[in-house]
This record gives sequence, C-alpha cells and structure tokens, in this order.
Amino acid sequence: MSELTVENLHLAYGDNPILKGVDMKLERGEVVSLLGPSGSGKTTLLRAVAGLEVPSQGRILIGDKVVFDGSRGVDVPAEGRNLGLVFQSYALWPHKTVFDNVAYGLKLRHANRGDIGERVRSALEQLSLGPLAQRLPHQLSGGQQQRVALARALVYNPPVILLDEPLSNLDAKLREEARAWLRELIVRLQLSALCVTHDQAEALAISDRILLLNGGRIEQQGTPQEMYSSPQTLFTADFMGSNNRLPGRVAEVRDGMALLEGHGWRLRGTAKPSAAPGGEGVGMIRLENIRIAEGPGENRLPAKLSTSMYLGDRWEHLFHVGEARVRAYGNAQLAGDSHWLEVPPQALWVF
Amino acid sequence: MSPRPLLLALALAAAPVVAQTVPAGYPADYAQTIAAAKKEGRVVIYSALDTKAAQPLIKDFNALYPDIKVEYNDMNSTEMYNRFIAESAAGQGGADVMWSSAMDLQVKLVDDGKAMAYMSPEASKLPKWAVYKNEAYGTTYEPAAIIYNKRLITGNEIPHDHASFAKLLETQTAKLKGKVTTYDIEKSGVGFMFVVQDTKYFPGMKELEKGFGATNYRVYASTGNMLEKVSSGEHLLGYNVLGSYALVRSKKDPNLGVVLPKDYTLVLSRVMFIAKGAKNPNAAKVWTDYILSQRGQKMIGGPVELFSVRDDVDAEYTAASLTKELGPNVAKPIPVSSEITQYLDPKKRLEFLADWKKNVAAGSGK
Amino acid sequence: MATIAKPSIPALPGARLPFTSGLPRFLTILITAAAVLAPLSLIIYQSLLDAPFFDKHHAGIAAYQFIFADPDFWSALENSLLIATGMTIIAVPLGGVLAFVMERTDFPGKRWLEPMLLVPSFVSPMVLSFGYIVAAGPVGFYSIWATDVFGVVPWGLYSLLAMSVIAGLTHVPNVYVYASSALKNLGSDVEEAARVAGASPFRVAVSVSLPLIMPAMLFSAVLIFFLGLELFGLPLVLGDPEGHLVLSTYLYKLTNKLGTPSYHLMAAVAVCIVALTIPLVLLQRRLLQNVRKYATIKGKAGRIRELPLGKWRWLAVALVYAWLIVAVIVPLTGIALRAFVTNWGFGVKLADALTLDTFRTIWNEPTDVRAIINTILLGVIGGAITVACYTAIGFATHRRNDGWSRVIDYLVLLPRAVPGLLIGLAFLWVFLFFPPLQPLRATMFSMWLAYTVVWLAYGMRLVSSSLLQVSNELEEAARTVGASRGRISREITLPLIRHGLLGSWLLVFMIFEREYSTGVYLLAPGNEVIGASLVSLWQGGAIDIVAALSLVNIVLVAIGLAFALRFGVRLRD
Repeated sequence: MSELTVENLHLAYGDNPILKGVDMKLERGEVVSLLGPSGSGKTTLLRAVAGLEVPSQGRILIGDKVVFDGSRGVDVPAEGRNLGLVFQSYALWPHKTVFDNVAYGLKLRHANRGDIGERVRSALEQLSLGPLAQRLPHQLSGGQQQRVALARALVYNPPVILLDEPLSNLDAKLREEARAWLRELIVRLQLSALCVTHDQAEALAISDRILLLNGGRIEQQGTPQEMYSSPQTLFTADFMGSNNRLPGRVAEVRDGMALLEGHGWRLRGTAKPSAAPGGEGVGMIRLENIRIAEGPGENRLPAKLSTSMYLGDRWEHLFHVGEARVRAYGNAQLAGDSHWLEVPPQALWVF
Repeated sequence: MSPRPLLLALALAAAPVVAQTVPAGYPADYAQTIAAAKKEGRVVIYSALDTKAAQPLIKDFNALYPDIKVEYNDMNSTEMYNRFIAESAAGQGGADVMWSSAMDLQVKLVDDGKAMAYMSPEASKLPKWAVYKNEAYGTTYEPAAIIYNKRLITGNEIPHDHASFAKLLETQTAKLKGKVTTYDIEKSGVGFMFVVQDTKYFPGMKELEKGFGATNYRVYASTGNMLEKVSSGEHLLGYNVLGSYALVRSKKDPNLGVVLPKDYTLVLSRVMFIAKGAKNPNAAKVWTDYILSQRGQKMIGGPVELFSVRDDVDAEYTAASLTKELGPNVAKPIPVSSEITQYLDPKKRLEFLADWKKNVAAGSGK
Repeated sequence: MATIAKPSIPALPGARLPFTSGLPRFLTILITAAAVLAPLSLIIYQSLLDAPFFDKHHAGIAAYQFIFADPDFWSALENSLLIATGMTIIAVPLGGVLAFVMERTDFPGKRWLEPMLLVPSFVSPMVLSFGYIVAAGPVGFYSIWATDVFGVVPWGLYSLLAMSVIAGLTHVPNVYVYASSALKNLGSDVEEAARVAGASPFRVAVSVSLPLIMPAMLFSAVLIFFLGLELFGLPLVLGDPEGHLVLSTYLYKLTNKLGTPSYHLMAAVAVCIVALTIPLVLLQRRLLQNVRKYATIKGKAGRIRELPLGKWRWLAVALVYAWLIVAVIVPLTGIALRAFVTNWGFGVKLADALTLDTFRTIWNEPTDVRAIINTILLGVIGGAITVACYTAIGFATHRRNDGWSRVIDYLVLLPRAVPGLLIGLAFLWVFLFFPPLQPLRATMFSMWLAYTVVWLAYGMRLVSSSLLQVSNELEEAARTVGASRGRISREITLPLIRHGLLGSWLLVFMIFEREYSTGVYLLAPGNEVIGASLVSLWQGGAIDIVAALSLVNIVLVAIGLAFALRFGVRLRD
C-alpha cells in the first residue's frame, strides 16, 4: 500500500507558480528523495505534504486518508496529519530539554506519563542520546541536535517521516558519516521517508527512489542507478554527476546512435529522445568516462591541455576543445599541451 | 480604585459632631432640607477653582456639616462645560453643583434649562447683578488687573489706568516688543469676556488693540502663565489678568507688581448653580447657601483669597475693601445676565474676533 | 525498531474543530476592532454634523466649510508641514550619524551613553518644552548666564525655525533606533573594505553604511514627518503665545474659539489630520516591509567589528555631547531647577528662591498624590495587562496571512493617526453613551483603555518583533508533531518570547508614564494621571506644580529606564 500519494499538485505564491502538477507515491518502507536545484519546488512539495503550505489544486493522501483535496476543499491542518518532520534547522525548541522536546508529541497525543517516559527513553537510546536527556538544545553539538530532531519526529511512530535537507547543517566530514548512519537507521526501523535534498550524492546514497524536480514539475524519477546511468533529459543528465558538455550539430541519428559534429571533431554517441538529425545538439559525458588517449582514433577528440589539478587520489585535467572546456581524470601528470581524449559511444549521450 | 477622594473622607470622620440648627433668617422648613442633605450624604461639585485653593471652604463646610461629604472636582472651565453637557445628554449627570468663572457659559447653561430653580435664602444679601433667575448666583468679586515686572518697569512707566497702559504701549513700543501679554481670547472665555466689557467702558480700546499689534503681544490661556512670564521678566506687562491670583502671588513674589486700573476695574464673579436633575439636590442647596452665607463668604475673602461678593463680611479681600481701594463706581462687575451670552452666538463672536485681529494686524503694520 | 514503533499510541484524532480553535482569535479581533472603530467612527460622524452629536443637530459639511474658510486652518496646516519638514531634515541625518557612531565605531563610553540617547523619546514633549522655556527661554537659567557672557541671548525658542530645531533634536532617538538596528544587521566587512580602500570613518558612514540602510532611513524619515504632523505638546507650549498654530493646537483652540465647544469643527480638523497621515501610515507600512526584507537579506552578516575613529574621535564626541546637552540636559535641568524655586527669571538670585514648598504642596494635595500613584499603577499593572492584550492580538495575526490579519494590521495603525486629545474625547463619548461602559467611566479602566488603544501601533510593533524572532520552523515543528495553534502559542511561542514581553512591558510602562494628551478629557476624580494633569495644570497656569509633577514624572521614567538596563531590555524594537 502507498503510505503517501500526491496527485496533480499545484501550488503558487501569489502569481508565482511553484508546483505545476506533481504526481508521486511513497510505498511503505521506501525512502524517496526529492532532488532538484533551488527553486525547483522540492521543499515546497515537502511542506505541502506536511500541511504547512496550501496547494491550489490536486490531492494528497496519507495511507488511504485524504488530507488535501483542492476540488472538495479538504485541507487537514498540519497538526492533524500525524507526520514526522525533521527540519533543516532541526527547529528544536530552545526552552525545552531534549527529553521534553521528544516527549511533546506524545503529550499532545495524551499518552500517559509512564508510557511517555518509557518511549522517549527508548527513542533516545535508539539514537544514542540517552545520557543527554536533560540537556537543553544549545548544549548539544550539531550532530546531536540532528538526532534529537529525528527522535522527536519518530517517537510517535508516524506512518511517514519527512526530512528537509537533514544533513545540510552538518560539516562536510560529519555529513558522510551521518549519511551512512541515517540510511542504516531508516532501513533498520523500516521507515517510510520522504527526503528533500539538493545534493545528488546524498540522494543517490540514501534513497530507494529519486524524484528529480525541475521548475515545479517532476523531470524524471527512478532508482538511483537509473537516474545516474540512464538520464532521459539533458537536465537530468546535467544534474546528476560531474559532466562535460560538448555543443555541436547532430549529423545523423540511426539505430539509437547519433553522430555529433563539432569544429574539427566527430563523435558517435547514444541518441536521446530530443536528438534530431540536422539540429543543434549537446553531447554529455561524465568526467570519469573520458579517457586520455595516446593518439587519434575512433571517437577521439583533439584537445589542448590548459591546466591540471591534483586531487589526492588522482589528477583532474582541464582541456580546451575549440570553444568548449573538457575535464577528465587521469592517474598522472601530463606533459606537453596537445592530447587526445577518447569518448566511448555508450557513455556519450547526445541530446 | 475608589473614585472618591480619600482624604476628604478622613477629614469628615475627624470633624466634630455639631448639632445642626437652621441658620438665622432661613425659613423654618430649612431643617428638612438639611436633614435630606445629610441623608444624601454627599455633594458633587464641578469647579474651575483649584482644589488646593478651595480646601479651606471644604474643610469649613465639613466642620459645619460633617455628614455631607464634598466631592470636589477641579477642571478648567471649558472641560467643565464639555463634560457637563455630555453627561447631561447621556443622562449620566455627575455634577450637583456647577461653579465656574466662565460666567457666559454658566448663564448659557441656565438659559438652556440645565439649572435647577432655587431661591437661596441668602439671595437677598447679594447685589442685584449677582442673582440670575433665582437659579444662578455670582459668588465672588474678582478684579481684572494689569501686572508688571517690578524690576524692569519702574517709576512713571507703571500704568495706572487703561489709557496710560495704552499710552505706554504706544510710546515704548521698542522696549515692549514681545513683552506684553494678555489672554488668548480665542482660547479663554474669561479673556474674551473681559475685552468685550472693555469695549463697553474704554473708548481707546481700538488703539490698545493696535498697541498689542505694534508690540507683537503674546497670548496665553491662563492667568498663571502670564504671572509666571511677567514675574520671570520674559514679559514685562500683563493685561486683564485675574487680580485675585495676581495679588496672592505678588505678596510672595518680589518681581510682580499689580495695578487695579483707576478709571474702571472689571470685576468677574464666579457663577454657581445647582444642576437640574442633581442626584443630591438638598446637599447641593446646603452647599450653595453655605457659599453665599456670611460664613462662606468670609472664607472666600480670607484664606481662599478670592474677593467676597457680599459687602457685609469682615475679611481681607471683599467687594467692600476693593471699593474702598478703588473709590466709588470704579469697579464694574460683569453682570450675571443673558447680556453676557450674546457673544456665544458663533457669528457674532467670529465678527468680534475678526475685528480684534484686524486692529492688531493694523498695529503691527502687517 | 520495536521500541520505537510500539503500536500502543492512539492515532491522532483528526483536525481540531475549526470553530473552537478560531473562536478566541475571532473574539480578539472583534474586541480590537470595536475598541479602535468605536471612537473613530464617532469622530467621523461628529465631523459631518453642525453641533454636538448628542444635541440638536443637522447633518452636512458645514464643519468642513468652516475650517476651510478659516485662514487659521491654512496657516496651521502650513506651519505643520514646515515643522514636519524641518524636523525631518534635522532628525534623520543626525539620527543616522548617531547610530553609525554608536553601532559601528569605537566611540568612548557607548554603553553608558546609549540609554541617555533614548531619554527624549520617553519624556513627555510637554515637559521637555516647558523645560526649554525655563532653561533657555528669553530669561531662562542658561539664557541669563549667556547674557552675562555675550551681552545678548544668542538663541530664540519661539520661532517656527526654533520649534523645528527643537522638535528635530528631540526626535533624533526615533531615527536612531531604526538606523541602529538596521546597522546591527549589516556585516562590517563592507565598511572594512571601504576603510582599506582609503575612506575616512566619516566617508565610510556617508558613502557605505548609510546608503546600505537606506530603507530604514527612509522609513524613519516618513515616521518623523508623521510625528511632525501630530506634534502637540511642543507647539502648545512654545508656539501658542506667539500665535504659531499647528494642526493639533488649532484643533485644541477650536474647543473655545466659538465660545462653546465646537466638536464638529474639532472632529473635522481631526478627519483632515487623519486624511493627511493615513497615506503616510500606509507608506510607512510598505517601507517597513522593505526594511524587514532588507534586514533578512543582510541578516546573515558576520560579526561586527568596531571601526576605529582615530582623529575623528573628538569631532564625534563633540557632536554627540552637543546634541545630548541640547536635547536632554538643558530641558531636564530646567525642569528640575524650576521645581525647587519659588520664582525665577531676570534679576532673581536662585539661591534666595530655593524652596521645597511645591513638593510639600503636592504631598498635601490628595489629587496630586493620587495622580502620581495612578500613573505608577497605570504603568505597572495597566502596562502588564496592555502587553497581555497586545500579545493576544499579536497571536491572532501571527503567521496568518488572511484578510483578518490585514484588517488588524491596518486597524492598529489608525488610532495613532488621530491626535490623542481627540481620541480621548471620543473615548469620553463612548464611555458616556454606551451604557455597559458607563459605570467604568470615572475609573482607571477608561484611562487604561484609551492609552492601550492609542499606543496599539507602538505596542504591536514591540510584540510582533518579539514574535518574529521566533523562527517559523519552531512553530511548524510543533504543528507537525500535532499541536494545535492554541497550544503552540501557549507552550512554544509564549515561553520563547517571554523576555521580549518583559521588555515590552517596561517600554509600555515608560510610554504610559509619558503620555499626556489622551487623558485630558477622561480625567475624573479618582483617575487622575500625571500626564493629563500636566496639560490641565499648564492651561491653568500652576507652573510650579507643573514643574514638580514633571520632575516626578521624569524620575518615574528614569526608574523604568534603570530597570530596563538592569534586565538588559533592548530599548527599541
């Protein structure tokens, strides 16, 4: 059964449309990430689900209960939706202790005292916060605050937990650890979670499914692998991973393959739906798929080396191909400035 | 918060119990009035006289009638009028007795039927001009005076009548520039009333108005302000101030000189009436009669430091003492009569004001 | 997993009934609207009659015809506009520079100085103006000293120009508070960049810092202009004797000009003032939104470092202290001196005139003692209830963007647009002619209600700035865990803003101590307050009592200020 269903959701701030018809489902035990650049509407969608924004039309169902229906005027307020929401800022109540922060949701549900104590303590234990129960939020580190925010959202066992950029307030090193920890927790507790993030690496790592939003619409959705390795649009391809862009002209399209021509080069690549023969085209290739070759050959580009950067585990080289700039990884520093780059046809997407 | 004045209640409790007898010369049934007044237990007075100044009267009244509590509310005469008409329109009458120096407004209220008819047993002791329709009574005899700063106006500069005052303005224009003050007649009813009377008695009024213009005169809404400014030397001369206040201050203030003009001295009389529909009509009668009585008038001419309107009292400030000082027929009391309300007609009043302003402007050369 | 996902918790019982959750809010809005609109509509109604509304009257526009035909009205309007313009020109740049010096530089003694800077905004303009006369009038204490030194008094008090200057100088704090809070939100990196590029502190202020806080400066300019049109106490005391009328003193004059009170004319003038000020109020509102937007954009600015003034230090010190002396020390010492002497002026040796009689008189005068006690009670207890009311209204509009919120937003701005004097009179009418309120007329309640309504806009700004400091997400977090609006207000927001409310209470206390015009017509035996008594006494000419009561008033405000500092209240919104 779907824990959460969103149908044709529209939402505008004044005259400014933010969501332009979004459909999605969240299955039980599934983690779905809403990914997209800022302004794509991902946070707005999450807040609309939580009941903190009022859509103009569409429907939202939690389980089989309609919590919003624009055509029937149903709008269950946020407090009636029984969801858990972890805020980007954590939004811990500064005047309440960790224990009271977590217990508040239970108090509102009229659980009895003993029950509250027991459940809060076990939730805190689960998140390794046990000894901190009597602290105030400002006495905690960022990572601890994040876990309190999670405990607060989980303690009353909501069917869906909403996470708004849950890791963005942690510093870079902590973020990777927390990412692993969060994924582990979600799987262990079999949570159904909807998670907003602008960081594609985080989305790839944490989710079962990714919804990529662009300008208030879903651009593409699928598993992390699908999203990364078979993007259907230029936007998706561009948003996921690190890419090189090669503008040119589509000379021909045949058998799912396209021939892209630029100034002094021709490359064969996988044709994407938008590639039309005779028109302008863009070749996209991930940095890690370009190989530095010894000399000219099939699907190779002549390139001038501009500079090289040492990244620790490898080198990143910056080449100029005509007007275009192409980056590629290599294992060693390069000598001289004329080089050849090999672009495997299955790794080059022509849009 | 209790709306009642606490200290008065204390004073009342401390007063000796006096057997109440009908004052001499009063009708025999006055005993019933006193009994009813005691039953009412209080009298509410709206007055333009400071509570501080009225304190001796209140204390003395309480000594006489310890069972009648005096709730004395002082406010300026305009506020008093405002509040009275609004309260009476709302049927929320607060005042039993109205006592104000704005004689014209008081007479108007009487003419508008806001006063209760009451023939005071003391009425016969009052001058004729001080009794109006057996409803309102003039209670004081307060001269309008000219004041000057003693350090800065000396010798024969000191004016002694209206003509010499006007002359001084004409001859000493430069010295007096910005230093002559009088009532703002647009703001002060009393000030307006005085100048209306002046036009009646003083033929050179037009010249005086021009003199005000020429000296670029300053105007205030109250005598207190004029006393302060003349005493300090910011101004040198004040015209038509309330003489009673001026005389009191001049006793303590070496800077302040007071002149009662020798040609004629206007006299204002605070008018008192009992409000129609008063909640404590009997207490109001007892109070009014007390104020008009020899005993009350003696307080007014004594510690209250206003002038008593009655001649037959022995006190420092009385109509008689003033007459003695000024000579016969110099004091010109403003009568308590409908004559003084004619300028409450907006059209007439505005014409008068416009005329006044025209003369002032002519004097200032504008 | 099992520990958390225990299924023993009952499912949340749906949404709360909108009726019960909306009722308190609806009532709050209703009561606020009634309290604001009842007196205002009476004024508008009255302006369209030709006599007091409770007397025989005819409807019509006679009142407007009268005032538009009266040259005094036009000269008052002209003077109002002149003074408002003058004081804006003076107060805005000075306030801006002062804010820059205090917020951004290493000016010596800032901590001590800041509360002093705000003093003029907490002292009644009546008191200040009176202080100016006694201290610096033609024969004031300082003027006589000046005469001894220079032979003449090198200044005057009573011209339009002088009034503009005094009004401008005493309104500097109003600019200062806005400018300095805008500066607080500005990172100092921009200034440091200018310094590195070679700008002097003065250039930094003029070419970098002040332009960046332009929206706040613009807002305060409109505010000052607005306050200029509303000016009453100052022109009453300084302008009236020379016949310089402004709109509010013209209105006051109409009380008696026709011999009997001309309510219809007064109301018509008030409507004209409202018509003049409403556009300003709306403009202010717009600008305030801009200021907020700007503040949030710049809000993430880094730590503020002090700009060393270097050789400019002495100029800054001279400027600040000169202002302080003129706007604070001179009038306050004037009042204090007058309270302790019997008479003053030309040729008077103050040592001979020293006395405590005035204070003895006050002490022995039950109404004066009551006025002092009432003023304290009104500030302390009334102020607390007032802040509670403002908070309730604040909650009724907090984070709600519906029509009702906007209605309240505009409603609270209205009372300030009407001169306090007339609002007070309108409240008197309300208490007289609305039977359920009649018994409360002569009590402190009438005074309290009028004060509370008149200062709505100010108080709501205090409360809503506290509310806005509570991050939206803290409340949303409570909503998502299942708390209704009412519970969020009580259990999350209220505890979080309690310090802010404490501060608002102190500020409201000081404002209530300062207020003078609103209570004039509501004064009744039992509910005397110092401010209104001062107007009455001033009109009556009891100058010594005015001075002594003013001094008491100042002492009360000073106590409030001391408490505020002790508890670290921010003296601004």
